[in-house]
Amino acid sequence: MAVVREKGYSHWDGRLVERRFPWLPITRTGIRLAFRKRGFKFAFAGAFVPSFFALGGLYVSERLEDFKALIQSNKSLLKIDPNYFKVLLTNGFFLFLLILVLAFGTAGLVSDDLKHSSLQLYFARPLGKKDYVAGKMAVVAFFVLLATAVPGLLLVVFKLIFAGSFAFLGSYPWLPVSILAYSALLTVFFGCYIMLLSASSRNTRYAIVLIFGAYYFSEVLAAMLKGIFRTPYMSLFSIPANIGQAGAALFGQKLPLPLPAFWSFAVLAAICLLAAAVLDRKIRSVEVIK
Amino acid sequence: MSIEVKDIHFSYGRIVALDGVTMSLAEGAVGLLGPNGAGKSTLLRILLGFLTPQSGEGRVLDYDIRRSRAMIRRSVGYMPESDCFIAGMDAVTFTAYFGELSGMPRQEAMKRAHEVLFYVGLDEARYRLLDTYSAGMKQRLKLAQALVHDPKILFLDEPTSNLDPSGRAEVLELIRDVATNKGIQVILSSHILDDIESICASVVILNKGKVAAEGRIEDLRAIRYSLYEVRIKGDAVAFRRELEARGCRVDETEDRLIKVYMPEGAERMDLFRAAVRTGAQLRSFVKSRTSLEDLFAGAVGVD
Repeated sequence: MAVVREKGYSHWDGRLVERRFPWLPITRTGIRLAFRKRGFKFAFAGAFVPSFFALGGLYVSERLEDFKALIQSNKSLLKIDPNYFKVLLTNGFFLFLLILVLAFGTAGLVSDDLKHSSLQLYFARPLGKKDYVAGKMAVVAFFVLLATAVPGLLLVVFKLIFAGSFAFLGSYPWLPVSILAYSALLTVFFGCYIMLLSASSRNTRYAIVLIFGAYYFSEVLAAMLKGIFRTPYMSLFSIPANIGQAGAALFGQKLPLPLPAFWSFAVLAAICLLAAAVLDRKIRSVEVIK
Repeated sequence: MSIEVKDIHFSYGRIVALDGVTMSLAEGAVGLLGPNGAGKSTLLRILLGFLTPQSGEGRVLDYDIRRSRAMIRRSVGYMPESDCFIAGMDAVTFTAYFGELSGMPRQEAMKRAHEVLFYVGLDEARYRLLDTYSAGMKQRLKLAQALVHDPKILFLDEPTSNLDPSGRAEVLELIRDVATNKGIQVILSSHILDDIESICASVVILNKGKVAAEGRIEDLRAIRYSLYEVRIKGDAVAFRRELEARGCRVDETEDRLIKVYMPEGAERMDLFRAAVRTGAQLRSFVKSRTSLEDLFAGAVGVD
């Protein structure tokens, strides 16, 4: 028989507060839990590797005289302009590392709650569906912004420090805005994408497979359709191609696809709308079996 | 009244879950009783604001169930029926987390989590991962998270389901203590009659989405019907038919004990008259105290 400990329970004399952002504890906990996952810290650190290489490139670009022997044959590689940042933040390897971080750190955001029926515990609190989704999406936003906006802006700062002047910023004053806008685009898109696929399964491992699978399968599908129909519009089926196209537009660079960038933004927005519809159906305080 | 609902209707598609439920619950432990599919969980979910009734109105702690859901949830605790936890968390973090989500300051929530985990007897396991908890520990953990913000009302949905006898006794002891010594109103939804009978003074019996009986168990026992246990020698079938024709409900146990539920207004002499008419010989005649099981059977109309 259990012992009811009289001293263990007393009424709480504090006051419950109404928070401006009631979802913040969800975000904080989501981030903390991500770092407890096996291998996540390694993947997270790996996402910054391209930025360290880019930092090295920045340093070398300001010390061309010192490194002349090394870069003589390929001088254009170290031209630091908005394209340098665009290449860093939109290249396939960087996006792969970003998806690796998101898949291992955030795939279980909704699927774990579905698996362990904990949604009803959240909604037994003064939280709405919007608070729950905002709290979970903010976890994705945290990692995306940390991997894109923070290194991007720091690289601009380092460029100014290495150059010892503000001439670079004078030439491209809109670059920090481009970095922020692209980071915001990735944040919104990946926030919706991860939530959509996390809510699609009760099994986190399956959600991880879906996150990688949908991303890379879209590229294969687009290549197949492009081969069949011979029109560049088929590239719109590829998520990486759309991100690359939108990124190039935001950095004011030549578009990789011979299409207006509007279509890529529209495709990414459509995926976000699909995510909103699925989340609205999946995230419920009560599971109704019909 | 802490909880009042009036003419609540709710359907899942074409399936009617609640059909004009009206009830008022005062202080103290109240049992919500009914067979599977009677609408108990649906009613709890409406009171918590998980579901919006299609018609009808209600108030919990004077907050409207349609308009003040956040205020209701801030003031009540909910222990769901199914296992629910967050993988990768320990009990302290889990309990404090839900305290914080209820509106407690972070440090207060952590302090309080330790207190309630100690209270429910999980103090030594509070840093263990929840994934490793047994069924009984998970039940106590659910109780801890429901108590962490010191609610005024505690909604418990089948709190002893899936528990072995000792685990069930432990959880019931905790609930009894909360209901009787801590000044927290407990609404206990269960189909285990013993659980309700051991904890609750009042009961609401739901059947097919309607309130079949409501009130203090003692009062219901007194007014609904009288129970007599008789043994006869003779034609039991004819005796039974005769009683049923007089408005009584008759059950016969395996050892041939006949339980006669006599409705209000019926006389016990009717029983003797029935015996005379059918030529049966009454060998024993005892006025029995109605158990909750009898009350439930009488209200719901099942054996």
